[in-house]
Amino acid sequence: MNVAIIGCGGMGSYHAQMAANCGARIVACVDAFPEAAKKLAATHGAKKALGMKDLAKILSDPGVDLVLIATPTPTHLELVERAAAAGKHIFCEKPFCRTSADCKKAIAAAKRGKVKLFVGHVLRYFHEYEALKAQIESGKIGTPGWVKMYRGGMFPVGSKKWFSNFDQSGGVTFDASIHDLDWLRYMFGDAERVYCQALQRTEPVLMDYAQMTIRMKSGLIATVVGTWAHPSGFRAKAEICGSAGLLYYDSAESPLSAQQRESGAGPGMIIPLGADSVSPYQLEWEDFLAWVRDDRKPRVVPEDGLKAVALAEAALKSAKTGQPVKL
Amino acid sequence: MAKIGILSFAHMHAYGYASSLNSLPGAELAGIWDDDLERGEAAAKQFKTRFFSKMDALLESDIDGVIITSENIRHRAMVERAAAAGKWILCEKPLATTVEDAKAMVQACKKAKVGFGTAFPCRYSPPLMVAMQQIQSGAFGEIYAASCTNHGSSPGGWFAQDKLAGGGATMDHTVHVADLLRWILKKEFTKVYCELGNQLHKGSLKTDDVGSLHLEMEGGVQISHVASWSRPKSFPTWGDVTIQFIGSKGVLDVDAFNQKINVYSDAAMKAEWAHYGGNPDTGLVTDFVQSIHERRDPSITGIDGLRAVEVTVAAYQSHKTGKTVKIGR
Repeated sequence: MNVAIIGCGGMGSYHAQMAANCGARIVACVDAFPEAAKKLAATHGAKKALGMKDLAKILSDPGVDLVLIATPTPTHLELVERAAAAGKHIFCEKPFCRTSADCKKAIAAAKRGKVKLFVGHVLRYFHEYEALKAQIESGKIGTPGWVKMYRGGMFPVGSKKWFSNFDQSGGVTFDASIHDLDWLRYMFGDAERVYCQALQRTEPVLMDYAQMTIRMKSGLIATVVGTWAHPSGFRAKAEICGSAGLLYYDSAESPLSAQQRESGAGPGMIIPLGADSVSPYQLEWEDFLAWVRDDRKPRVVPEDGLKAVALAEAALKSAKTGQPVKL
Repeated sequence: MAKIGILSFAHMHAYGYASSLNSLPGAELAGIWDDDLERGEAAAKQFKTRFFSKMDALLESDIDGVIITSENIRHRAMVERAAAAGKWILCEKPLATTVEDAKAMVQACKKAKVGFGTAFPCRYSPPLMVAMQQIQSGAFGEIYAASCTNHGSSPGGWFAQDKLAGGGATMDHTVHVADLLRWILKKEFTKVYCELGNQLHKGSLKTDDVGSLHLEMEGGVQISHVASWSRPKSFPTWGDVTIQFIGSKGVLDVDAFNQKINVYSDAAMKAEWAHYGGNPDTGLVTDFVQSIHERRDPSITGIDGLRAVEVTVAAYQSHKTGKTVKIGR
């Protein structure tokens, strides 16, 4: 399997390593900043390192089997459409697209191009969340009735500070909490309605803080908090309350903790530091590659990516109107 | 010496207040009345005081003040009687189950010229006191948002009977945090949205056992709060009060009852928490006794209780209408 990496920032570089760990070959790197593409290509011995304007050269290369898209969210649709039209299988980083309308177009493009389209909702592969899932399914805590999901830390920098343009990124609701929104759907089915408060401040300090209540169709109530308002760090928590018990996970209680003195550039993107036998990012690559190779249905299908976006979109609409929004 | 009576031990907080009263040099627990004779007599024995089988007999005695710890729905009538008898009053939270009742109680005490306070002991919890000082000092800048919880285990009994409690977990566990936010941020509430559920006890309760609220305060401060009876019997402690404050200069997390050591005892066969730090009940009762000596309102007033009731009532209203409810004055 020959992979082209589109978007060679923090996430793209990490994905390149995961794909390589699965035995795939990184054959091309593309980025709006050719320097970033060159750097990543050198790491993996990829022959081609190009700027985004030369993307067509990569997509027309029969030596490329699949592409990884890890660019700013609003660019996803066009890249998916082009890659699909060129017959390349696609691994698209979450959020799938900036709007649910775009997600639908992306799904249609993949169908037309007869390519496989995977959306990177990696939380479904995290060992700790899989452990939560196993406990819930064991029936040990009875029927879950209320769930709290918490995620975030400092504001991510990203390329050209694109995260700080809330119209582009959708802020913490769209970019970070979407992990939890997808996981809630994965575990408890579809949402009925959502209420959301989103801070999205640029002055005097750049920060975002999102607080949501989601009523699932099952009746379960979920409280979701996402923060890009912390001066440093990253933390994720999950609390599942049932009729016969309670489950609680807190990343701060981890078997591994480290504090690095400031590095020159600072973190562009925070990827949680785990102590896993296999990285969850590698597990999603294995799942994606097995789908491409053996047609084995993966844990995440494109409709999941669409539904997570639709939920985040409804949340931001609620934040704007001050009223709950039905799905 | 301030002589104080306790009306009803229906609310378990009465035991904490009674024990605090007995520990104070300037106060005397002069008598207990309870409509449940057995419960009242046992409490009188436990706290070494006299049991009164008639409420009026206790109110007509030479006591200076009363602490009212009856079922929520009975607060108003007891406050009105105690006020008419000229006694200083400390009333358990929630002050009332309707805004109308809470206003009438404040009015009755004003008219009778007696001091009237609401029992919000969390204002005397050391971590929350530090949080209040820190935020008021400006060290965290302007506060834009807060995410809060007040979880507990199911108290059962009258707490989960609508006609005695006026609601469930949301009635029980919204007012503490509502009061803390007003006290710490010095702002009033403007809007409430709420989703209620009765789904943590297999539907065995007649009331909600969880409420997920979204509140707004003056200046657009965004707040989420979860009130619940979600802690299982196996949980190491009764519950929590937590607030995460998001400010322009930083983030402050309070977990008020996390002043604890972990206890693992084979006798209990579950992990438990042993608390250290101050006793909020004693702080509350000390201020009440002081207010009697100084003939003033307790520091946490009836108006404070009323404001918290307004939030809770709006939450239930929002759940009914499915819309955001404005709180206006």
